[in-house]
Amino acid sequence: MSFELFSNLVGAFFTLCIFSFLYKDNPFYQAAEQMLVGISLGYGLVFTFERVFIPYVYQPIIIKHQFMLIIPAILGILYLFRFTRNLAWLSRYPIAFNMMMVGMGVPMGMHASILVQMRQAMVPVETVNLFLILLGTVAVLLYFFFSKAHSGAYGKFVNVGKWYMMIGFGASFGLTVMARISLLIGRIQFLVNDVFGLLK
Amino acid sequence: MNLFERMQKLDRRWIYIVVALAIIIPLMIPYDSDNVTTPPTENLYQMIDSFAGREDRAILMSFYHDAATMPELFPMEVAILRHAFERNVKVFALTWFPAGAPLIDYAINSVKEEFPNIQSGVDYCNFGYKPQAFAMVMGMGDNISNAMNTDAEGRKLENLPIMKGINNYSEMNLVIEFSGSSAGMTWIVYARPKFGLNVAVGVTAVMAADLYPYLQSGQLIGMLSGLKGAAEYEKLVDIFAAYRDPAIDYRVTTDAEGQKILPGRPFGREILDDESSLDLSKITTQTKARFTNEQFVAFSGKYPEHLALLNSLREEEDGKAVIDVTKITPEMRDQMGEFLYREINQLTRNTQYKFKVARIGMNAQSVAHIMIILFIVIGNVGYFIQKARGQNV
Repeated sequence: MSFELFSNLVGAFFTLCIFSFLYKDNPFYQAAEQMLVGISLGYGLVFTFERVFIPYVYQPIIIKHQFMLIIPAILGILYLFRFTRNLAWLSRYPIAFNMMMVGMGVPMGMHASILVQMRQAMVPVETVNLFLILLGTVAVLLYFFFSKAHSGAYGKFVNVGKWYMMIGFGASFGLTVMARISLLIGRIQFLVNDVFGLLK
Repeated sequence: MNLFERMQKLDRRWIYIVVALAIIIPLMIPYDSDNVTTPPTENLYQMIDSFAGREDRAILMSFYHDAATMPELFPMEVAILRHAFERNVKVFALTWFPAGAPLIDYAINSVKEEFPNIQSGVDYCNFGYKPQAFAMVMGMGDNISNAMNTDAEGRKLENLPIMKGINNYSEMNLVIEFSGSSAGMTWIVYARPKFGLNVAVGVTAVMAADLYPYLQSGQLIGMLSGLKGAAEYEKLVDIFAAYRDPAIDYRVTTDAEGQKILPGRPFGREILDDESSLDLSKITTQTKARFTNEQFVAFSGKYPEHLALLNSLREEEDGKAVIDVTKITPEMRDQMGEFLYREINQLTRNTQYKFKVARIGMNAQSVAHIMIILFIVIGNVGYFIQKARGQNV
């Protein structure tokens, strides 16, 4: 038996174990679920050691003698002190260091996510689409303005904002259904094609 | 208990069985259906295609995901790699996720099997897993070789042939990030404003709605959303990049002026709108290469040494010359050589399974959607009829 066939059969077995939950909870499902958690943790640990610790800590410091990297390595180790009661305060230093990155991200994030979006909402209303965008932007913003009661003509207008949001939520929900079905399709394609080779 | 009460109390496991069948049957029995392409997909395709054959242009593919989102994202990656390898576009790849590194190898190796001339370090370069996304994104804006230093195989970037003509984002002018979460944000926030980098994303369908505002503002030049986006891209590659004209001799790779002759053809709206283009993107198995008489004469004229063999394989069908690849024996294949055999095979317009996964999946997706809509409608009908009758629902 080739390694590929063996790995596919193992994958197929655990896929069916997980699917068996659709019928009802059972020992096969529970075993598969717990093995998934355990194997993911073990795999992640070994993988991180192999792909992160060895090439970015061990090799540069021990083999290439880039001793400057000891400082960020120590800073990283300080995270682990979160698990001790007396020295947990040490873990705040790497967190504080990381906040610098957050600070750097604020102005550029403001530019990309707010200013550019605002600029695009302020273009001349030359097409129906642009009018709909303008209407939706104003109506949704006013919907969240709570200093004025949503009544009368004003209430009817902000209700348009609610409809816009409902359409948005509907689109998101539809896309979510599509994504979940895609995952199921992926698994069934694996079972039907990779394991049993029934597709051409 | 009347019908409507039974509908309301239907065991959910029956619904699971129906949904499972609605997906399994279209997968087992593929049928040809059209996937209408959308502007975000077409824009990305055209942008990548504009780099075809250029030494001083490249794309970067960022695999920012792990195996959990592969059913949606992997077909996109395979389709884009196929496009790039068909049209001679330089490709760089990286990941910010340690678990994404094996996926890069898997995607590249899957596609490379069909392109024997594609070489690592010449046509593509895998940077592998890189930590410190922010530093790398900014560093590549100045100099890619200095920021990345080595590729995944530990080779110095500056020594690789692919780096000829490629220095920074001025040349590697398009990044496509594949992700199931915050796709493209690092590039949109840092690289686009500072360096003018073109950014596109391939995302799971769940994420697509969140990213449309960035398309509208022009911060994203294109987007592939979920399996649908992947299916659209597969179709475009089949119709344009993988297209072969029977009259052109693809053994000649440069013209009289030394310019590269690229396989495939550029994107064209009129070709896409033409109904005959559907014949180029079928997902059912195709075994017959069809030619008009003029095309057959031009095609066989390219191989005068195999003219007798090609004529012996020729059949007539609906006024067209046809070569059925299933009738080519191993001896005939040896006689005609691998290049001619592959060309005839390509002219059947048959697409390999790995290059039509998303389109097969979309067939199942369509049937499943119809089932779900039916369930919603039937459930609501039952609910409102019971309510109208004043029964407790």
